[in-house]
Amino acid sequence: MKQGKGLARALPLYGLLTPTLGLLAIFSLVPFLWAFWTSFFDYEVGGESRFIGLANYIEFFHDPSSGPSMLNMFALTMFGVVVTLVFPLAVARLIFCLSNERARYVYRVLFLVPIVVPGIASTLIWRSMIYGDHGLVNETLQFVGLGHLARGWLSDPFTALWAVAFIGFPFAGGINILIYYAGLSSIPESVQDAAQLDGASGPRKFFRIELPLLMSQVKLLLILVVIGGFQSFEGMLVLTKGGPGFKTMLPGLWMYLNAFSFERMGYACAIGVVLFVMIMILTIVNLKYFHSAEQLQEART
Amino acid sequence: MKRRRQRADLLAHAALIFFLGLTAIPLLFVVNNSLRSNFEMDHTFFGLPRALTSGDFHTLFLSYREAWDVLRAYTLNTILVAAVTAIGVVGLGSVSAYVFSRYKFPGHRFIFLFVLSFMMIPGVLTLVPSFLLVKKLGLLNSYWVLILPYITGGQIFSIFLYKSFFDGLPGELFEAARMDGAGHFRQYWSLVLPLSKQVTSVVLVVSILGTWNNFLWPFITNSDAKYHTISSGLYAMSNSAAATNYSTMYAGYVLASIPVLILFLYATKPFMAGVTSGAFKA
Amino acid sequence: MKALRQISALLVVGASIWFLWPPSPQLSASQVKAGSKGDRKYVLHVSPGLYMPGRRLNPGDPPLKQLQLVADEFEKLNPDTRIEFEDPPTGEREWLVIQLASGTAPDIVNVNVGDVWQDVQKGWYVPLDKWLERPNPYVKPGEPGSKQWWDIFKYQAITRGKAAPDGNSYCVTLDMIETGIFYNKTLFRKLGIAPPKDWADFERIETIIKKAGIVPMLASVDSLADWGLDLTFDQLYRDIRPTLALRMDPRRAKYLKAYLDWDELCFLHKKGFFTKDDPRWREIFRLLKKWRPFLPKDLGSTDNIREFVVGDGAMLWMHSELVDRLVRDPNLNFDWGVFYLPPITSVTSRFGIGAPECVIGGAATQFEVTNSAFGDTKDPETSERLKRCMSFLQFVTLPRNCQRITNETSALLPNAVGTEPRPEMKVFDTILKRDFATTKWEYTFDLRFTEVLNRMLLLYMEDGISLDGFMDWIDSNVDLATANIERRKNLDLSPFEPLWKRAAPLRAHMKELPVEAR
Repeated sequence: MKQGKGLARALPLYGLLTPTLGLLAIFSLVPFLWAFWTSFFDYEVGGESRFIGLANYIEFFHDPSSGPSMLNMFALTMFGVVVTLVFPLAVARLIFCLSNERARYVYRVLFLVPIVVPGIASTLIWRSMIYGDHGLVNETLQFVGLGHLARGWLSDPFTALWAVAFIGFPFAGGINILIYYAGLSSIPESVQDAAQLDGASGPRKFFRIELPLLMSQVKLLLILVVIGGFQSFEGMLVLTKGGPGFKTMLPGLWMYLNAFSFERMGYACAIGVVLFVMIMILTIVNLKYFHSAEQLQEART
Repeated sequence: MKRRRQRADLLAHAALIFFLGLTAIPLLFVVNNSLRSNFEMDHTFFGLPRALTSGDFHTLFLSYREAWDVLRAYTLNTILVAAVTAIGVVGLGSVSAYVFSRYKFPGHRFIFLFVLSFMMIPGVLTLVPSFLLVKKLGLLNSYWVLILPYITGGQIFSIFLYKSFFDGLPGELFEAARMDGAGHFRQYWSLVLPLSKQVTSVVLVVSILGTWNNFLWPFITNSDAKYHTISSGLYAMSNSAAATNYSTMYAGYVLASIPVLILFLYATKPFMAGVTSGAFKA
Repeated sequence: MKALRQISALLVVGASIWFLWPPSPQLSASQVKAGSKGDRKYVLHVSPGLYMPGRRLNPGDPPLKQLQLVADEFEKLNPDTRIEFEDPPTGEREWLVIQLASGTAPDIVNVNVGDVWQDVQKGWYVPLDKWLERPNPYVKPGEPGSKQWWDIFKYQAITRGKAAPDGNSYCVTLDMIETGIFYNKTLFRKLGIAPPKDWADFERIETIIKKAGIVPMLASVDSLADWGLDLTFDQLYRDIRPTLALRMDPRRAKYLKAYLDWDELCFLHKKGFFTKDDPRWREIFRLLKKWRPFLPKDLGSTDNIREFVVGDGAMLWMHSELVDRLVRDPNLNFDWGVFYLPPITSVTSRFGIGAPECVIGGAATQFEVTNSAFGDTKDPETSERLKRCMSFLQFVTLPRNCQRITNETSALLPNAVGTEPRPEMKVFDTILKRDFATTKWEYTFDLRFTEVLNRMLLLYMEDGISLDGFMDWIDSNVDLATANIERRKNLDLSPFEPLWKRAAPLRAHMKELPVEAR
């Protein structure tokens, strides 16, 4: 590897990085700074803007909808974490333990198929299944005689959040499965054999030996799920728009509504900045925690 | 021993098929209903398409023809945007990752982390300012308004993947190449790139999927329907008068999935190999 | 194996190219007739909403074409102009706001006038009074419209009533729509019931229907928060209306007898009306909640049409566009009819006086001209493009054109003098003759108000919050909305104080006014 001897040497390298950094600067950095700046103003699209300092942030603190939104966001993200940890891992493990190589390949491909449906289509499909007195879910309940359980899943305040979380069942996403599968197949043969010899098999082998070795995959998916969970709101926009009341409201969705529907850009930007700070803190914590856990693991084995 | 193996296999197969079934139910529902007319769906909820049993193939695919009328132009747009974006993401990503990985220059760690940190900015925070920015730049109602921001966002993940792959390449490889007289560019182009086929396919697939799924940004920035992508087109359809025309909507969903399905038919092998190669860890 | 893959790859590529090859434009024949495409100086982008050429309202319908034919005729008469129709999501507020703010909206749009009123102070829409007060050049002398374009409209009260509170008219109303309660006549006959005379009667028949295992009333929370609120408000505040209607704008008084605008509402709110201590305000929502047992399980659903058509619901509160669906459904196996909401009498509520229910809305296709139209000179006074846009609107509203466009479907009623709606729409014609509503809540205030109202109402209807909790929320919602609108529109409420004092003798006999108002 070449050693960079000072800036002069490094200039062509900076030059190579210019497109990347340039694009980032224009399309990511500038908008972010603008949003940060605007969060201190009361700005209406097409109207005037006046400086109000931290008023937007204070308002967000006092907004009766922010508490429930944050809780919903955490709840859904936690749920997403659990679900991403359990289901794809279970499926990957099942595939892995098949003895036929061809079968393992076929299953991996088959589980990839549902990914081809564009996200919005998938959300709309699920919505049409849960919707109405005669959506697929309600009709099935009627069919099996459980008709009294039928309800407006997305408009009932007690079931709305769960209904939204349930979408995507059984959560066996092809890419996540592949990631876990990769982790499983990278466990060296020697470890597998040693476990066999020690008499560990089935659940014990899985929890004691395989799972700890999958930590780096877990960490990656965890970060992605958390970042995604904090930001995503498009699904909620399509499904419930945050109703009934504020039972399924998310900060991201409230930000979107304030910016585009209510035309309160400054307030929306303040919410966004708060979210950014939260994500940043969480990511740093996540990395640090897992880094030390991994080091501990490596030291042990 | 073999018997136990077989039994374990059978259980695993059963569980997997169960999972697959659950996952497939919405899809089957959609395909079935896309072949029925609205009136049919209203009057009998569960049922096979009437046109199927009567052999009337013209009406069977009517909703597909209607959906296709709308989606045809969008498909072309989406493919164009996805292709250019993918090329940009692969190109920029691999070059930048190569620089980060192979060369230690002042500030390289800081710049790398700085680049990665952009992943944490919530998309919706920058939605409005980005819109105002592209309006000032005069990019509205064009393909560039989609391509440039997509490349900007997609390259981050691509850099991340490529860098961890490049980091894993043994130093001797480069030694050997240098001894053969290969300069920096030759090392990159003829040595490293061919080796990264699998990672490239992963980046390609992820980038194309991302472009395909993104509906909010195209929806906002392109008022001219000419430039809609498939996803934003579907979203617009679902909010327009056509929303209650369920069979057409369902046909639209199926049609929207077909190009990606075709992509996967060809890209699955290298994609799976790329994911399995171990570049996917934090 | 490799050869097989290569061949199949080629096949896929070939098929894709064939599929994706842009087809010859659907309407090219008519365009060619009208003159060559490329060299027309003015290209107007029009978003017509329902009448979008090429659209099929129901699957299997022939595509709509009347509007295109009208546009073709217009292009023949005006060789320097071309009309392009597009179908963007103008109903999506977010999209609309962005496009208008950046000047990239279509030149002529069809937007509900309530949305328009929100933003008139931003210069996004062109005030049309100048043209409406002048003759329509396409009208023959002596015919209505030859002196003033205003005269060409059939439903004068409603059309003029679409003027914004700032006094300007921003839209041209092509046709009319109205809501009604569609009911399953066959089912009614079977159960031995008839359309109700008043609200108590209404509850009686709903109970009978519910006992028979059918959903009596199909309505979604959106219609409750909008139509339900406005109609019930009108009913319960009717007896004290004389003191509420503070301003009688001479320009509007004839057509909107006692309509309350945003400044009047703000002033009245300061006097204690529309708060949780206003007994009538509370009563509105109590009555709406009483309706809940008769409504479908999923109030957020927009699937109600399907339920009605299948016979799972006895009544459906919907607007006249439903008629088109009903007459074209080959599987419909019952007779249907329409009646209007029955009045609320003192039996149902102590504030009810049994006055006939008013109408809400009325105007359907409302064309507005956006700031894109004068984009050529940035000045509405000098813009040539704007002149062409107005010319197109003048042409479209001619009786013969209005009739053929509107009556291509059984959804709306044409709004030009001398036109007749289709026979199945006649019942709505009768409904439209009623008085106009006292006010329209969701039109008056901003979208935050509407958004919070809708979602909190849903929560309340679903027993997620008590009436008191709900009233607290609505209270702060109205507070915020009135404060907001005073600021945005720079409202001046001082003229109302003397008018209010002068109306004191009227109030002496009124019962249960809010404390500050007595």
